[in-house]
Amino acid sequence: MPIGGFVIHVWPAKKPQVLKELAREERLSVYAHDDKGHVVVVIETETSEEMAHLVRSLSLIEGIFTINLAYLYGEDEVEKIESGAYKPQTVFGKAFR
Amino acid sequence: MGLSRREFLKTTAALTAAALAGIDLPLKGEDLAQAAEVDGWFRGTCRFCGVGCRVELGVKNGRPVAIRGVPQSRTNMGYLCMKGMLFYQLMRHPDRLKRPLYRARKTDQFREISWEEALDIAAEKFAQALKTYGPASVAYYGSGQALTEETYLFQKVMRAGLRTNNVEGNPRLCMASAVGGYITSFGADEPIGSYADIEQAFCFFIIGSNMAEAHPVLFRRVMRRKLDNPDKVFVINADPRVSPTSRIADIHLQFEPGTDLALLNAMAYVILEEKLYNEDFIKNYCAFRLGKQKKRVSFEEYKKFIAVYTPERAADICKGNITPEIIRLVARKFATSPATMSFWTMGINQRIRGVWANNLIHNLHLLTGQLCRPGADSFSLTGQPNACGGVREGGGLCHILPGHRPVKVDKLRHQVEDLWGVPRGRIPAKPGYHTMAMFSAVNQGKIKAIWINCTSPAQSLPNADKYRKGLAREDVFVVVTDIFPTKTTELANLVLPTAFHFEKTGVYGCTERRSQLTVKAVDPPGEAKPEVWIVREWALKLADKLKDPVVKKCVEPFLGLEEGYALPKAIWDEYTQKLTAGRDNDLRGAPYEVLKKLPDGVQWPAPTKEWALRGGTYKKFVRGLDPLADIHAVDERPYQFYGPAHKDRKLWIWLRPHKGPAEEPDAEYPFYLSTGRVIDHWHTSSMTGRIKELMRANPYAYVEINPKDAKRLGIGPGDMVLVETRRGRNILPAKVYEGPMEKMVFVYWHDMAEERMINRVTKDAFDPGSKEPEFKICACKIRRLSGPKPLKPYIVRL
Repeated sequence: MPIGGFVIHVWPAKKPQVLKELAREERLSVYAHDDKGHVVVVIETETSEEMAHLVRSLSLIEGIFTINLAYLYGEDEVEKIESGAYKPQTVFGKAFR
Repeated sequence: MGLSRREFLKTTAALTAAALAGIDLPLKGEDLAQAAEVDGWFRGTCRFCGVGCRVELGVKNGRPVAIRGVPQSRTNMGYLCMKGMLFYQLMRHPDRLKRPLYRARKTDQFREISWEEALDIAAEKFAQALKTYGPASVAYYGSGQALTEETYLFQKVMRAGLRTNNVEGNPRLCMASAVGGYITSFGADEPIGSYADIEQAFCFFIIGSNMAEAHPVLFRRVMRRKLDNPDKVFVINADPRVSPTSRIADIHLQFEPGTDLALLNAMAYVILEEKLYNEDFIKNYCAFRLGKQKKRVSFEEYKKFIAVYTPERAADICKGNITPEIIRLVARKFATSPATMSFWTMGINQRIRGVWANNLIHNLHLLTGQLCRPGADSFSLTGQPNACGGVREGGGLCHILPGHRPVKVDKLRHQVEDLWGVPRGRIPAKPGYHTMAMFSAVNQGKIKAIWINCTSPAQSLPNADKYRKGLAREDVFVVVTDIFPTKTTELANLVLPTAFHFEKTGVYGCTERRSQLTVKAVDPPGEAKPEVWIVREWALKLADKLKDPVVKKCVEPFLGLEEGYALPKAIWDEYTQKLTAGRDNDLRGAPYEVLKKLPDGVQWPAPTKEWALRGGTYKKFVRGLDPLADIHAVDERPYQFYGPAHKDRKLWIWLRPHKGPAEEPDAEYPFYLSTGRVIDHWHTSSMTGRIKELMRANPYAYVEINPKDAKRLGIGPGDMVLVETRRGRNILPAKVYEGPMEKMVFVYWHDMAEERMINRVTKDAFDPGSKEPEFKICACKIRRLSGPKPLKPYIVRL
């Protein structure tokens, strides 16, 4: 279960609406925000795939102009990859023999 | 009470993020001492674009488990983007190439072989080609993702060892026009200023760049500047397509593809007409030049030339939302802002007249004196992490030797031969094949052995099918060094597994002349090896087979050195201490010992350790800021333009006429086709395509169609659409989207699936100056084939 620390950059005038939108997302915790439009959040998901999806959907919220990663911890996932329990899915055909 | 491990990690994540934003969190710091989330953090540079973000890789039990940004970083202030987010997955991905693979015929199955056998085969094939067909029959095609040490050593062995200048790299496809622009306008390659200008600029002119998606971390700095000074800072974006960049600009200029030269000349017209130019700057530092002969002309002649580019005429040419008034407005903003900074990338460079387009952006800065001052700069963005450091500076193109030395200049070529201790005349006097000529020569069977390193031309070349035929020839021996299978390994005889970033040591030089060291943190998987080891061992075998001691001489200084650190360090030392000495990219002050002391690296010129330890040169050509400006000063003026290409020590304002694209829409092919990137993917997606998260976000390329065109053609969202050019056909799902303007479609180029691989249909016309292809524009027709169909993402695998 990866844990990511992000800074969401928001147009200051739209921060109240953005915070309301963010509050609906239970996988995300808002830790702080300031008048410049910085919103500090931690996202915790089952998989990093889910985290990436979530970040992409958050970026579509009106008022957010960018979401930057600051910290990502994924030891569990690395262990799963190495043990074969999790293979990053590439559902792709075989192109060369 | 202590925190649970998970709470501890969440607190760490929050504190790290808050530190970047400068926010104090009311969390108990002492709790953080209770558990170590990693055994150690290793400093390095992100390798997924040209910005050069400083990143730290967290390693636990020898495995990469975390990444984090560092607030003190001068490039990214600690912020990272989605591409950098998950690259630990790449390092542990099961698809990584782990052992050398070989097949005699390209229709055979690969079989695993030993390194000994692999290097012997590679040496035998190159030696055979050289002995039978001569030095022009062998070639190296490298990458802006290779470390400087790698590019430098490859090109040294090719030029001095194998006596060929057939040394090229994929930066030819993305930034050769920027090189041409800087050299012809400023007399020296690479930007004068730095990212630090962003925080001092008042007007941003972003043209031909979707900076928000292609360079998101740098774009954050631009937007931070805007948000902190909403009434003082003005953002102009000029692009035929509405993108995330244009959506947050103050003004978006939407013009037809290929009309940029008219727009830029019209801005110059307004600057002249309204006397917004800086007469002193022009008089003191500029000269006007015309044509291939670089004829010097007067300011009056330039004014006469520009007189035909009235805003009214330009608006007619540009179409879209361009009006005479909007041209006048942006020209005034550009000229009268206290400091204007321009950014551009492939939209300008990948043009049949990309060098001219670069020149015309520089012209605006020269006319207005928006240069050399804090916040004022004409700044080309780079797509790859080491296109500047390795390829432009390290000798990775067919016409340039290390240290920005043109091959054709006898004195400089002999200088390199002397520094390498090889006989004079060893390096051919004639430049080798440029990229498009190189792959044409492969097609024609003129090249018999080619080494392709860390790049996938089978997917990234324009009109790719044409060139894949050559690579598929059985009489062309293809070696590929890479970390994953690609469209190019499909055409290879020999595939050699290489170490990835943080699995080896070396330097990347990013867009702002900044060299940063990444030291090996973890071991590569299986038998993967750093390229520097591969080249050294290959060269030794070549020397034996060719019975040529000069080949051995090329790697002699590096014999016996341990590959993880000592070997790249020795190569970097040779390159910086010998080859950059006295050149404009002087890096003598920046050996590994210095780079290790400086987390953000060094900006050249940095001729001494004392200067390097201050971080190097933030602004070139300015006395007091650039040590070479003082050394080369010829008078008391504050700016000293010592660029090696301009003997008159002037900046050149060029008279460049408007020129449209090589292929314009017509009755048969009525649409413009343009290509580009999406934030989640990078280049051919051989790396990002393997990260499940990124593939799920954008699993396959689609064709963006303007809603008006879609309505007219009966195309709905997700419908399967035929995109056809004179070169071939693609079938892609439609994204009906207010992005491209009417009569224009846009396709991302990362998809490897044959039916969606857009470079199969792009045009291979190229700029006669820079030889960079016009990826951005060709003519196409589109037609609805069917409703939506389920598609599967595709990536090459073993």
